[in-house]
Amino acid sequence: MKVKDTSTSSKIMNVIIYTVMVLSLLACLLPFVYMLALSLSTPQAIIQRKVSFWPVGWDTQAYRQIFTYPNFFRAYGNTLFYTIFGTFIALVMTILFAYPLSKTCLRGHKALTKMVVISMYFAGGMIPNYLLVSALNLTGTRLAMLIPFAINQFNLIILVNFFKALPIEIEEAALIDGLGYFRILPRIILPLSTAAIATIGLYYAVFFWNDWFNGLIYLNTRQYPVMLFLRNIVNGTMVLGNSSSASTDTASLSISVKSAVIITSTLPIIILYPFLQKYFVKGLTVGSIKG
Amino acid sequence: MKKALVIVLVALMAFSAFASPVAEVKEEGPLKFSMYYSDNATLPFKESWLAVQEATKSVNAEIQWEIIPIADYSTKVSLALNTQTNAPDVILYQTTTGENASLALNGAIVPISDYSEWTPCWNAMVEKYGMEDDVELLKLQDGKRYYLPSLTDVPFYDGGLILREDFLKAEGFDAPKTFDDLYAILKAYKAKHPESYPLTVLAGPRVLYRMTMPSFGLSIGKNGSGGSRVLSWNYDEMKYFPAAISEEFKAYLAFFGKLYAEGLLDPEMAEPIDGSIWSRKMATGAAIATWAYYDQIGGVTAASTIEGFKLQMYPALAGPAGAHHQQKNRTGSGIMFPAATAKRADFEQIVRAVDKMFFSEENSKLWCIGVEGTTYTMDGDKIVYADNIKKAAEGIYKYMQLEYGCGSDVTQMVWVNAREMTKYDENYAQINKAVEAMGNVIQYIPPTPKFDDMEAEEAAMLMTPLADKLEVWCNAFLTGKKSLDKDWNAYVAEMKGLQIEKYCDLYNTNL
Repeated sequence: MKVKDTSTSSKIMNVIIYTVMVLSLLACLLPFVYMLALSLSTPQAIIQRKVSFWPVGWDTQAYRQIFTYPNFFRAYGNTLFYTIFGTFIALVMTILFAYPLSKTCLRGHKALTKMVVISMYFAGGMIPNYLLVSALNLTGTRLAMLIPFAINQFNLIILVNFFKALPIEIEEAALIDGLGYFRILPRIILPLSTAAIATIGLYYAVFFWNDWFNGLIYLNTRQYPVMLFLRNIVNGTMVLGNSSSASTDTASLSISVKSAVIITSTLPIIILYPFLQKYFVKGLTVGSIKG
Repeated sequence: MKKALVIVLVALMAFSAFASPVAEVKEEGPLKFSMYYSDNATLPFKESWLAVQEATKSVNAEIQWEIIPIADYSTKVSLALNTQTNAPDVILYQTTTGENASLALNGAIVPISDYSEWTPCWNAMVEKYGMEDDVELLKLQDGKRYYLPSLTDVPFYDGGLILREDFLKAEGFDAPKTFDDLYAILKAYKAKHPESYPLTVLAGPRVLYRMTMPSFGLSIGKNGSGGSRVLSWNYDEMKYFPAAISEEFKAYLAFFGKLYAEGLLDPEMAEPIDGSIWSRKMATGAAIATWAYYDQIGGVTAASTIEGFKLQMYPALAGPAGAHHQQKNRTGSGIMFPAATAKRADFEQIVRAVDKMFFSEENSKLWCIGVEGTTYTMDGDKIVYADNIKKAAEGIYKYMQLEYGCGSDVTQMVWVNAREMTKYDENYAQINKAVEAMGNVIQYIPPTPKFDDMEAEEAAMLMTPLADKLEVWCNAFLTGKKSLDKDWNAYVAEMKGLQIEKYCDLYNTNL
């Protein structure tokens, strides 16, 4: 039975906790609300500093403008493609590598682990990576966004440790019942690992959603992700001061357009979080050894 | 398990459908080649633009446009040239300064001056505007030129001091001619509006520095002409001098330091002031003066609710070295061919097509004013724009850019001052005339030294600490954290310790 602590110190603690939580929530939420209000306000109202957390003038011109940008929807579609298939491939590859790596009895286990850790700390660098991807004939193809990033060492280590923490008795019981390792993984291990998989899945999804640099160097125009588009719009005016022979083409984009682009390109990935949250909780409670 | 395997295989097959490499160039039919284009969010590229369509049609080409955001353009170009893989056939908006010079000398870029018989249109334009000496300056150490630069007959005065004309009239001020005149105006505004900072800055101090320093006889910092960051060109002696430790720079700092100390200069100047924030400051009267570009006046005016609000651009102010504006050359960024393009069997056709597409008489007009009968008609010698263009709220220049792709820095390669002025209002043309009448307001950009790889490396190693130190001290002097009287000698000693004089010699011995 739950006993409610009604002591004064507990009440004070609760007030402090709630205050900190509310402030944290506001710190995360308010910039987003402000951005939303800016995106729906008139440029005049923004320049006159009349906008706070509610749109002034209710102007959807910024959204209409970005929707008429050539390539915006294609870039959006590309990002969805990279995020969905990139996350899927990454999860499959990471799981397939993490499971055997979680078996300390596996021959070469130590060498493989060292390989993972060393490559986590020492990357090849941009030009060698580019030459490698290019030698594999992946540049200019969408696979360049998916295959080289199929396994992230950090996520792999998280999953390996999670698999290691699962009770060995479950697998032993399954082996006695006649299941092989290739069936134990999808039937026993994965259902018990939804929390870890949801977590690294989210990490992967956010990575693929936000990745613009790899798109820039490996892909062609028609394959660019929306984040590259967003970067161009947000940074469009920042390059203004960089040219020593700056031309007459120096018009700047309004804040409402920049805000609208930020909203449209970040909203989908933000929406993912509450949907995945239930797996975090559920995943932790699933699985036990039954008598 | 089988199910999972099937799903994985099907998914992989689906991806492979997307894994088509860059389209191979076919030999028959229209000429096919790829081209890098530097895209600016304020003018997003459209393949359907009239100018693009007509220019492409005129050379019977099928172009695979690679539209790359301007912020990342140099990264993409650098990768393409360094690795020569997935490189385009043609790269727009390039020069051979910085890394490109080294890449060119190491064989990554086609020395286009070796193929001058294939560029008859460009040659004709150079001759027409008497620019032989200008293009000669673009040759590198090996005596070769590696790109087809854009050509301008007379450089424009497209930006400068922008001030509230309504305030000047109300207070009885004449148009400012010197920096002291400006000081008096700013002081008067501050007296009336103590909460204001009358002079604000667009995009950090870079625009201010590059537009005002020439009147003090120098041009240093991130946007300093010549790219040395700490040296400037002595136009009388025709050589570089260490401007960062010169008396000219001291006088410059003294003037702007005084503005800062008296609350006349925006204290946020060291930050990169975003275009929107800058507009707000100007539109609301938080500032009255700035150095910016003429076509930005309209946006600020539209956003202001101040009665009688009127901004005007003024000719360059006279300083100790005369009245000068940011240096400009008659040649600008242009077209480059990666070395891999020269290996194509149809390389000659590509060069000829590019030459005609951008530099022929008809197409140079097309990239500027569009198609006769569609965007304009001729009334004798006078260009008359179509009604929809004349009535456009954005103005002729901007509307023609957005709707037809005319007047983009990236694709327009021939700039004729008189023709350009037809796209602006009478006021702008008058200012340009006034500036032209003042004489040598826009000086040429000093020559780039012809370094070999080792010298370029040495110059870069010397430049980095000098440029960093200059920025720190410059900010300190302007904001009063360091005193020009007490600390100037320590600063000079520090710069000399970082071998500014050796750096200057390196420049002068390689001209």
